Amino acid sequence: MLRKSRWTMFTLLFAFVMVMSACGNNKNSGSSASPSTEASPSASATTPAASSSAAAPSEGAVDTSKEVKLKMIFVGPKPVDYDIVFAEINKKLKEKINATLEGEFLDWSDWAQKYPLKLAADENFDLIYSANWAGYNDQALKGGFLELTDDMLAKYMPQTWAAMPKVSWEQSKVNGKLYMVPQNRGESVEKLILYREDLRKKYSLPEINSPEAYATYLKTIAEKEKGVVPFTPETGDWKFHNLDRVLLKQQNEWNMFDLDMPFAFKLTDEKGQVFNVYDTPEFKDLLVYYKDLADHNAWSKNVLNSKNDHQADFKAGKTASITHNNGTLGSLMALMRQENSPYEVALADINQGKKKSVAIATQNGTSIHATSKNPERALMLVDLMQNDKELHDLMMYGISGVHYEPVGDDKYKALDKNPNFTGFSNWDFNSPLNRDNEAFPQEASNLVKSWEAGVYHYPLETFVFDNSKVKTEIANVGNVMLRYGIPLEYGLVKDIDKGLADLNKQLKAAGIDKIQAELQAQIDAFLAKQ
Amino acid sequence: MSATELNVDKSFAKASGVRNTDRKIFAVIGYGSLTIMALLCLLPFLLVVSSSLTSEHKIVTEGYQFIPTDFSVEAYSILFKYPKEMVQAYLVTIGVTIGGTLLGLFLTSMTSYALSRRDFKWRNGFSFFFFFTTLFSGGLVPWYLLIVNYLHMKDTVLALIVPLVLNVFYIIVMKSFLGGIPEAIVESAKIDGAGDFRIYAQLILPLSKPALATIGLFLALAYWNDWYNALLFVSHEKLMPLQYYLYKMLGNMDGMRKAMMGAGAVVTTALPTESLKMAMTVVATGPILLAYPFVQRYFVQGLTIGAVKG
Amino acid sequence: MNRSGFWHDLKKYKIFLLMLAPAVIFYLLFAYIPMAGIIIAFKRYDYAGGIFGSAWNGWDNFRFFFDSGNAWQVTRNTALYNIAFIAVNNALQIFAAILLFEVGGKWFRKIIQSSLFLPYFISWVVVGAIAYNLLNYDIGTVNVMLRGLGLEPVDIYNTPAYWPFLLVLVSAWKGLGYGTVMYLAAITSIDTEMYEAAEIDGANIFQRILKVTIPNLYPTIIILVLLAVGNIFRGDFGMFYNMVGNNGVLFSSTDVIDTFVFRSLITSNDIGMSAAAGVFQSVLGFATIMAVNYAVRRYDKDRALF
Repeated sequence: MLRKSRWTMFTLLFAFVMVMSACGNNKNSGSSASPSTEASPSASATTPAASSSAAAPSEGAVDTSKEVKLKMIFVGPKPVDYDIVFAEINKKLKEKINATLEGEFLDWSDWAQKYPLKLAADENFDLIYSANWAGYNDQALKGGFLELTDDMLAKYMPQTWAAMPKVSWEQSKVNGKLYMVPQNRGESVEKLILYREDLRKKYSLPEINSPEAYATYLKTIAEKEKGVVPFTPETGDWKFHNLDRVLLKQQNEWNMFDLDMPFAFKLTDEKGQVFNVYDTPEFKDLLVYYKDLADHNAWSKNVLNSKNDHQADFKAGKTASITHNNGTLGSLMALMRQENSPYEVALADINQGKKKSVAIATQNGTSIHATSKNPERALMLVDLMQNDKELHDLMMYGISGVHYEPVGDDKYKALDKNPNFTGFSNWDFNSPLNRDNEAFPQEASNLVKSWEAGVYHYPLETFVFDNSKVKTEIANVGNVMLRYGIPLEYGLVKDIDKGLADLNKQLKAAGIDKIQAELQAQIDAFLAKQ
Repeated sequence: MSATELNVDKSFAKASGVRNTDRKIFAVIGYGSLTIMALLCLLPFLLVVSSSLTSEHKIVTEGYQFIPTDFSVEAYSILFKYPKEMVQAYLVTIGVTIGGTLLGLFLTSMTSYALSRRDFKWRNGFSFFFFFTTLFSGGLVPWYLLIVNYLHMKDTVLALIVPLVLNVFYIIVMKSFLGGIPEAIVESAKIDGAGDFRIYAQLILPLSKPALATIGLFLALAYWNDWYNALLFVSHEKLMPLQYYLYKMLGNMDGMRKAMMGAGAVVTTALPTESLKMAMTVVATGPILLAYPFVQRYFVQGLTIGAVKG
Repeated sequence: MNRSGFWHDLKKYKIFLLMLAPAVIFYLLFAYIPMAGIIIAFKRYDYAGGIFGSAWNGWDNFRFFFDSGNAWQVTRNTALYNIAFIAVNNALQIFAAILLFEVGGKWFRKIIQSSLFLPYFISWVVVGAIAYNLLNYDIGTVNVMLRGLGLEPVDIYNTPAYWPFLLVLVSAWKGLGYGTVMYLAAITSIDTEMYEAAEIDGANIFQRILKVTIPNLYPTIIILVLLAVGNIFRGDFGMFYNMVGNNGVLFSSTDVIDTFVFRSLITSNDIGMSAAAGVFQSVLGFATIMAVNYAVRRYDKDRALF
């Protein structure tokens, strides 16, 4: 009797569950449709069900007679002076496109959990900050963002359409479809080395302009400067050594699709032949180089568990070199100079004259929510934010005279209240109108300029890998890289040959060949179309 | 209440007068092990407190300190930078903790009581019904959808209280405690004509003070330490509980600094991340440590059921 | 039983059912209804389709786990660690609770009890940081002391063999206060008449503990162990991740299902795949607890969970 009643209970229960969820579903679709009655007739035609091409009626100017309220999700904390600045922004927006903007902010501490939930729960918003590092491809494939057609872009954001380089649009496509208005300003993704110039001089070491010179510097510090760790990596889930971008990618003029997979191709290779990085002689040479450094105590033996903030360590004089991108290192240098740090610091480019890749457009961007009721007005807003000097300045730097002071046309000086309107993801509006901080070190700016001049254009620049067919293999390969690759690269495995063989054996088992075949097939198809 | 405790101690004392050696050996083992265990637990916490009062530079260069050689209250001054918000966060946490614990205690004990009655034939079925939920769960997405889209609890105090109000673990532990109460008590009350609810409210509850204190403590700790529900369901500043407020503050300051630097801005205020982590622990733990001794008396005294039985 | 029997029971248990009603509704609403989301594990989730409308993809979401070649190792690690935690933690907690009950004056007990609770309040992030500070090879306190004594330093973070002991120790340390409270409450609930009877029978204190205290704790011990057994295939992510981090050198002896799945899904962050891992853990846990509960039922009906 007991068993029987338990089963009855269960069947009842599941029936209940199904009914409840069915109700829920209906209510949900009902509620997402009903509020759109407020919107103008043209707007209601663009609900996601309707095809996006229908969203761009080509006749006449855009009708903005109906006032709309737009909501955008940013990543980062709500700025202290949000009310003041957004009031100002809305005054201008109301004038120009009869719309106002409300921001919702996902704190840095929990955006990673909340971002996908906002989309999964289909909450009510129109625009959302998107980026490759915030899972742009994945969210787009899951249907979180509205597809943007050329017609829509040309009609609703003519200025951006004219100003944005074609490469950027192409790079932002997922499976040939566009879901993002990328930033319109290249951000250098290459990494640099920041080191202690005073220590180099103290031991009269040669200028750090090659991997060998850098190794000499690290070894000398390890030997002679007690209490200073020669190199400290950035903590995180990196699947490669922190120096690989400099010593593997840039040094060999390769490009890697992303640093979660061990695939690269030569920049100059017209055919786009993909290879497994771990299988190359270059990688093996690098392992010897790393092992030698590790054996000379160039980094902590427990480097994989260290939670030290490498920038804080560098500033405190506890470590003698770190790597990061130009912006971060330049800003750290500026800060140390401002605080009259006793240490003399300098940037090193140990890959001088090597070919540089173009910045990735999807580093920052704006996407339209798939169920936005006002996609046209949302696109118009992005158009203004990137191209209207007044609105751009307001969104990026706050109020002139309060948060910043303009210096010429392309620089600004941060005022005391600057921290009250910064630190959130307004970078998707980066554009040629951006201003630079005037305190930023000149040598860092110069380096960027020289890199920009050295950008090499190659056929696969706009290729984007669709990994949906090999997700399982990618998950497993990533796991193997962390488990077998990383210890090897930090010199923690005694026998390099054996370690490398183990790594490649595990990668095979994890299905690396399947990813490589899929990747190559997509590349071949991509190149054939060009 | 302390009279019972005294009684127990006295009766033991009398016995120990007869045979002394075993008591002495036991006392040595007892005092020795407890002191060692307590020190092992106390020292790391002292390290936390002391590090929270040490300058960041000292921690970065020399590690955590047992004695703050380079004294600094910077971490605390950052945490209390917005005192009004901090007080508000404390108030939310205290309110939610008290309200949630009382409600939870009532519901838990009532549920457990029904499950503990041996003459309730369906009790195993219901126990299984509850326990099953600890094994299988639908994951975050459906749960989030339910609470936000269907129950509309987002940004309400309910979202902070309701998800934690019942816990199968507490129900079953409580049930096992209540199962230890002799059935004769219930039987005799029944003969006196008392209903089941009255037996629970007037007879069982007073008899299960240690159990209630234990589960009450666990509930209170769960509410006090909760930040996850706030993370998911609260965006309104007025509703932010302490733990989430601290968690968010640290994450934001660090994230903001990194983001600004990445964008090439010069960030002048370096964050004492290490000492802040420690100060957060102290700030979040302090009040509950102060309150703990008041609950403790229910665990350190004996209970004479026989007295009630008669 | 016939129908009238059911209605009869319903009437008879009216009060009990009413007392259970709030909890039953709570779990229906917050546990059983969302449980429908388990089907996400068998779907290729997309936003337009949601939970019910997305396309089915069979066992695809499970492949990342079973094809990895590590499934057996991490599953075994998870179970073994949890068994060790259950055994060591409960033994220590019972030991501490008995001592606390028997020894010392009011103030001594209060101070000790409060101290034992302190580790509970230190988050795993901070515990991980303190552990690194104490144990790292270069400047860790332990190694500084060893060097000071002229001994060889130990490279704990590159030696997997230390970790099972270390993790069991840390887990015991952090849970000591919490569990002790529970056992202490159980001990204080023991009728003091039983102690007096034992004293009169001439039992010394060790005998009294063995013959009276511990047998009276059996129900509590069994219940706590049973409750823990259901979760034997769930690793304590906060602990493992903050203690071990992404140090691949240690994974052979420290990787549990939760950390493995976390690392696998950092990049793809796939809802379906993480749901699949959860279902795997649930099914194993379910089978284990049913078997163990059945065994306990055969031994003593009243001691079982259900």
